[in-house]
Amino acid sequence: MRSPTPRTDPVSAFGPTVFEIGRRSLIRIVRMPAILVPTIVMPVFFVIGFTGSFEGVTRIEGFPTEDFINWVGPYALVQTAAFAGIGAAGTMATDLDNGFIDRLLVAPIRRSAIIFGPLAYTAMRALIPITLVLLLSIPQGGSLPGGLLGLFIAVVGGMGGALMLGSMGLAVVLRIGHIRAMAIVQIVAFAFLFPSIGQVPLPLLSGWLHTVARFNPATNLIRMTRQGFIGDVSWAETWPGLLVIAIGLGVFTGWARYELDQRAP
Amino acid sequence: MTSHPVEATGLVRRFGDLTAVAGIDLAVEEGEIFGFLGPNGAGKSTTVRMLVTLLRPSGGSARVAGHDIVKNPTAVRRAIGVALQDAAIDPLMTGNELLRLQAVLHGLGRKESATRTSDLLERVGLTAAADRRVGQYSGGMRRRLDLALALVHRPMVLFLDEPTTGLDPTSRLAVWEEVRILNAEGTTVFLTTQYLEEADQLAGRIAIIDDGRIVREGDPRSLKEAVGDPTLRVEVSDAAMMETARAVLATFGEERPARVGRLAIGLAGGAGRLADVVRALDDQGVPVAHIELDSPSLDDVFADATGRRLEGANSAQPE
Repeated sequence: MRSPTPRTDPVSAFGPTVFEIGRRSLIRIVRMPAILVPTIVMPVFFVIGFTGSFEGVTRIEGFPTEDFINWVGPYALVQTAAFAGIGAAGTMATDLDNGFIDRLLVAPIRRSAIIFGPLAYTAMRALIPITLVLLLSIPQGGSLPGGLLGLFIAVVGGMGGALMLGSMGLAVVLRIGHIRAMAIVQIVAFAFLFPSIGQVPLPLLSGWLHTVARFNPATNLIRMTRQGFIGDVSWAETWPGLLVIAIGLGVFTGWARYELDQRAP
Repeated sequence: MTSHPVEATGLVRRFGDLTAVAGIDLAVEEGEIFGFLGPNGAGKSTTVRMLVTLLRPSGGSARVAGHDIVKNPTAVRRAIGVALQDAAIDPLMTGNELLRLQAVLHGLGRKESATRTSDLLERVGLTAAADRRVGQYSGGMRRRLDLALALVHRPMVLFLDEPTTGLDPTSRLAVWEEVRILNAEGTTVFLTTQYLEEADQLAGRIAIIDDGRIVREGDPRSLKEAVGDPTLRVEVSDAAMMETARAVLATFGEERPARVGRLAIGLAGGAGRLADVVRALDDQGVPVAHIELDSPSLDDVFADATGRRLEGANSAQPE
């Protein structure tokens, strides 16, 4: 006769738990690749469609580059990566719907692993549009005067946008408890990314749009991401973007964690 | 390990103005199967969700595996296995992948996880389906996988929330058998069910919950005996002997309503007096075509406690 022999360590190791929860989401992508269609279509639409339509806009005085792809490419990178990040919220919404979240909540793991697992998946998923945008930019005449550092900063910007939106999505979905929350996250994402310097430089914006874009945190994020495409990388254009990512991640992951705790003590 | 793997005192849970659990006291003995029986909406699942740390109580206290469910939920989670009412299983994953994920969640190492996964798949008869997506599993297979998932870390206490709801009779019997084996191996089982037969077949002790309160508690036999004497039904093959038979039976107990052509009494003393009844009828020359003794059921216990019959009372009986 076997006696039950429970383990005595208080919580399971954080790293492997985050890895496995993240891996589960990647398995879902392999089994249901249709999830990725928007993640792939958006970069193509942005890079090829926008560049072809608005190439002449760089002739307007005040545009800091002559190649529109160098201007719009980084914006496409941030935007498509951010929307890919919302996918983390989609996984959480499904787990809430089918009760899988209860399996995680009754496991002896750190609650933060339930947040960071999907975010690890988000980081992996964001690499798809980031890579696609960079690859598609080359035949469109894109260049990177900022060199490898500029490339690295661009990837950090895209990844940061994805993780911020991903963690915000987790918080909203946990708050509302339903997959319909995804629509709210997408609207909020548009509301942040659209009134920014994504499409037009700040001096060329006017009225309320100029005011909003000036104070919009997305402006700092896009400026940081874009700098290596239109010139050298500087700390002055980097730190505000990093600050936005740090504050955004801190606030949204904290909020998501709070909402998770509201679901189970 | 405390002497009571699960104990609750005055456990209460409110949702706004609704009181779902209204002050429950219970103590589950080590190594028993404890049946928590009640109709839909009685408060069974809410109680279980509190005990497995998914829901904070509004009042009272509870300890599971010796740990307070509010002050030390992680220790509780480490000690328990949980299979909730709706098998929470990702349909896109395979049985193998889910078991390995569960093993990591419970802190098992890679090698131990692989061995345990293989053992459990074999135990619940899912080895051949291990690499199939769970979405392709039948209801019974999903339940067996859910049970295996709850056992990955060899829990001290296993919580099964309506483990056979919606299953066909064959699958239900398979789950019952597995629960019996687990219990024989030393695992304490806390089983919620709305099926009388399930509670009767599996549980050593039962608490009946209704409207958020425990209305009866004890072993099934004592609970049924407390309701009253079993009913003896006799069918006499010669109509002319009916009155003689009635007179004989009246000496053994109070007459109860019966179908035309039959007689029924509450048999004081139960099955132990059945032979005496048969002898007395034979002595008087009463030809008996059919005789049966029906013990009170848990439904009678529920009815006695609440004045109502348990919804879906017999729907779990395997054919």
